[in-house]
Amino acid sequence: MDFSLNEEQRHWQAEARKFSDEELRPRSLERDQIEGGFEPWNWDIIEKGSRLGFRTLAVPKEWGGPGADFVSQALVMAELARGDSAMSKAFSQNWKWSHLIASACTTDQKERFLKPFLADHRYVMGRGITEPNAGSDNRMPPENDPKAGYRLRAVREGDHWILNGEKCFIANGSVGSLFFVDARTNPDVNIRQGGTLFMVPKTTPGFRIGKVFNKRGWRFYQNAELIFENARVPHVNVVGQVGTGSVKAGKGDTTGGDIFGDLELAANALGVCDDACQLATGFAKTHKRAGRRLIDHQLTQLKINEMLALTEALRSYVMRVAWQHDRKEHSANAGLVMNWSTDVIQRVTRLNMEIHGAEGCVMNARVDKLVRDAMVWTHLAGDTVQRVKVLRRIDKSMAAAGANAD
Amino acid sequence: MYNLHLTPEQLEFRETVRDFVESEVKPAALNPKRLEPFEKPLLANLVDKAAQMGLRTLALSEEAGGAGADGLTSCIVMEELGAGDVDVAAVLAQTAVLARVLFDRLMTPAQRGRWLPAFVKDDRCHLACVGVDSGTGTGWSYHRPAVEGGAVLVAVKQGNDWVINGALPFVANANVAKLFAVQARTGAGAPVTLLVSRDAPGLTVREPLRAVGEVIRWHHGAGAGVALKDCRVPADNLLGEGAKGAAALDAGMAWGVPQVAAINLGLGRAAFEAAVDYSKIRRQGGRNIIEHQAIGTKLADCAIRLELARNLIWKSAWALDHPEAVADRSVSGLPLHVMARVYTAEVVNEIALLSAECFGAMGVMRDMPLQKYVHDSMVFRHAEDSDSAAKLQVAESVAGYQRPMAA
Repeated sequence: MDFSLNEEQRHWQAEARKFSDEELRPRSLERDQIEGGFEPWNWDIIEKGSRLGFRTLAVPKEWGGPGADFVSQALVMAELARGDSAMSKAFSQNWKWSHLIASACTTDQKERFLKPFLADHRYVMGRGITEPNAGSDNRMPPENDPKAGYRLRAVREGDHWILNGEKCFIANGSVGSLFFVDARTNPDVNIRQGGTLFMVPKTTPGFRIGKVFNKRGWRFYQNAELIFENARVPHVNVVGQVGTGSVKAGKGDTTGGDIFGDLELAANALGVCDDACQLATGFAKTHKRAGRRLIDHQLTQLKINEMLALTEALRSYVMRVAWQHDRKEHSANAGLVMNWSTDVIQRVTRLNMEIHGAEGCVMNARVDKLVRDAMVWTHLAGDTVQRVKVLRRIDKSMAAAGANAD
Repeated sequence: MYNLHLTPEQLEFRETVRDFVESEVKPAALNPKRLEPFEKPLLANLVDKAAQMGLRTLALSEEAGGAGADGLTSCIVMEELGAGDVDVAAVLAQTAVLARVLFDRLMTPAQRGRWLPAFVKDDRCHLACVGVDSGTGTGWSYHRPAVEGGAVLVAVKQGNDWVINGALPFVANANVAKLFAVQARTGAGAPVTLLVSRDAPGLTVREPLRAVGEVIRWHHGAGAGVALKDCRVPADNLLGEGAKGAAALDAGMAWGVPQVAAINLGLGRAAFEAAVDYSKIRRQGGRNIIEHQAIGTKLADCAIRLELARNLIWKSAWALDHPEAVADRSVSGLPLHVMARVYTAEVVNEIALLSAECFGAMGVMRDMPLQKYVHDSMVFRHAEDSDSAAKLQVAESVAGYQRPMAA
C-alpha cells in the first residue's frame, strides 16, 4: 500500500489549486447569481484554464495532449470543484470525449476533430443523448419495449445521414463546438441495435441550439436543447459501426465514457465537500452562540466531525477508483463511488447549511450554492437508475463467477 | 375519548381556502415568469384577497370582528394557504395570531376602542411583533442560564411618554405592518410591551433582505429589520402590565407556532401531490414511473411523513387550546408545538427533495415549481431558531430543567 502521489500528480494538483483559488472561486458566486444563468458565458475562464492544460487534460501525449493519468484527473477535478463545481465540470466534460476520440475514432476523425480541439482554447464538447421522453430509458432500456429510449431519427442519404428530432439538457449545449449525438438508424429495434453515435459539429447545416435551461444548481454549466431539422451529417462522422448503440461504438474505450463519467461526478463532489468543510469550520470558529463559539458546542462538533469523516472517506474511495482506472482494473466501484458521492455531497453540504442556519433569517449565499449544486447529483445523472444499473453489473459478474465455480 | 372528526365548519373552511389556492394562488405563485427570477416580491394582491375572505382576522374573536378560529382550525387553513404560497400564508398567519393576542387578550377596553375598528376595517392593516432577537434561541444555552437573549430594545418613561431605542435585524411582517407590538427592557424595571404605529416618528423599517449577494434572505413572509430611535409613544400605548404583558405576548406567539408548521406542511403536500401527478403520467422503463418500486418507496416515505407531521401539528394546536388535557395527563406536557415545528421542518425538507427527484432533470429547472418547494423547505428548516437548537429546548423539557432567571 502506498498512498503517495508522484511528481506529475502533485504538479497537476498544485496547478489546479492555484487556478481554482485565483480564478474560479473569486468569480463563483457572482457567476452563480446571474439571472437566467447563461449570458454571457465567461470564455476567459475557459481560455485561461485551457492554457494551463485543464481543457485538454485527458488527451494522450501521442496526440499532443497533456496525457494526465486518472489520478491526476481526479485531483484536478476536485481542486477545480472546490472553487466552483460547475466550472470544474465545464472542463472535465471535455475529457470524457477526449477519451472516446482517442480510443474509438478513426485516424481521419482524430485529424478532423482532435486537432482543432487541441488548437482552439474555446473548443468544448458535449454529448447529446437525453430527449424529453427518453432519460432513464437510454441508460437501462426496458427489454420488452424496443421503442423506448432516444428517438432522434437518422436516415441514410448517400454519403450523408439526415437527422431529425431534438435533444434536451445537453452538456455544454449552447457553447459546444462538437457534439456526440445518439440517433436511431433503425426505429424498429431497441437502441442497442438501432442506435448509432454521430459526431456533429455545431456548424452542421440543419442543426441549431434551442433553449438554454435555467437550473437551480451548476449555473455556470450550460445545458441546452439541440434541434435537428434535416441536419446533414456525413457518414464519415459515425463513431464505430452503424447500429451498435453508443456503448459498443466506443468499443476499445474501456476508460472513457460512462466509466470516466462515474469517477468525474465523484471527484467533483469531493471538491464541493472540501469547500463545505472549510466553510463550516471557518464559520463555527468565528461565530458565537450563548457566549461560546459554535465549534465549542457539541451540536456543531458532531456535525463537523461527520462532514470531515464523510469527505475523507470519499477522498479515499475516489482516489482508489482513479488508481484502479490507471491500472485498467474495472469494477463496479466506478458506479458505486458515484452513487455514494451523491449521498455524501447531499449530506455534507446540508450539514454545512445546518451550521450556518444559526444565523437566523439570513444565509451565506455560497452555503446555499453548494446545496443547490449538490442537488444536481440526484437529478442530472439519472441517479436511481444509475444505482440499479450498478447492481445489474454486480449481478452479472456474480453470475459469471458462479458459472466459473461450477 | 378520541375523536378526529373535523367539524362541518372546519371542512368548509378547508374547501373554501383550497379552492382559492387552486384558482388564484397557484396560477400566480407557480407561473414560470415568477419562478425563474431570484427575487419574488410578495403577492400583495393575493394577501389582500385572502384578507377580504377573512383570513387576516382568522384567529381574532368573533366579538372583535374576526372569524374566531381555534388553533386547529387555523392550522387547517394555513396548510391550504401554504400549499399555494408560503409567503402569503406567513404574512396572514402572523397578523391573525398577533390580532388574537393583542386585541382579545392584551388590550384594555379603552385601547380596543382606539385601535380595533381601524384594524378590522382596513384589509391592509397587518401586525408585527418587535420582540427578542431571533438569533438568541435558548437552545444554545442548553442546561445553562441564558447569557444572552431577551428584549434588545430599551424603553424609558419620560413624563407621560415612553421613549424607545434599539434595533432588531429581523422582524416578521415589518414590511407590511401598520401596527407594531414592541417589547423593551426598562432598565431596572420589568420589561414592557408597547404599541407603536408604523408612522410613529423614529420608527424605521429597513430595506428587506435580498435574494442575491454574499448573504441572502432566508425567511418567509415580509420581514425586515426595524430600528427605533427616540421613538416616543404615549403611556396609553402600554399593553398589559409589565412582565405580564410580555408573558402574554410570548404565549400568544407560541400559540401561533403550530400554524408555522402547518404552512410548512402545506408546502410539503404541494410538492408531494405534484410528484404523484407526474409519476402517474411519466413513462420510463416500460411503465409509468409510479409503478416502479424506486418511485413507489419515495412516495410512500413522503405520505408517511406528511401524515405524522399533520398529526403532531394538529395535536399541538389542540393541546394549546386545551391546557386541561395536559393537566389531566391526557396529552404530553412536552412542548408539542416546538416538536411539531422541528419535525415538520425536517420531514418536509426531505419530502420536497424526494418529490423533486421524481421529476428527474425537471426537478432542478427554475421554471418548474419543484426547485422552489425545495428552496422554501430549506428556509423553513434553517430559519430563525435553527432546528438543532430548537431540539435542545425539547431536551430541556424532557430533563425537567428550570432555567434560572437571567441576572
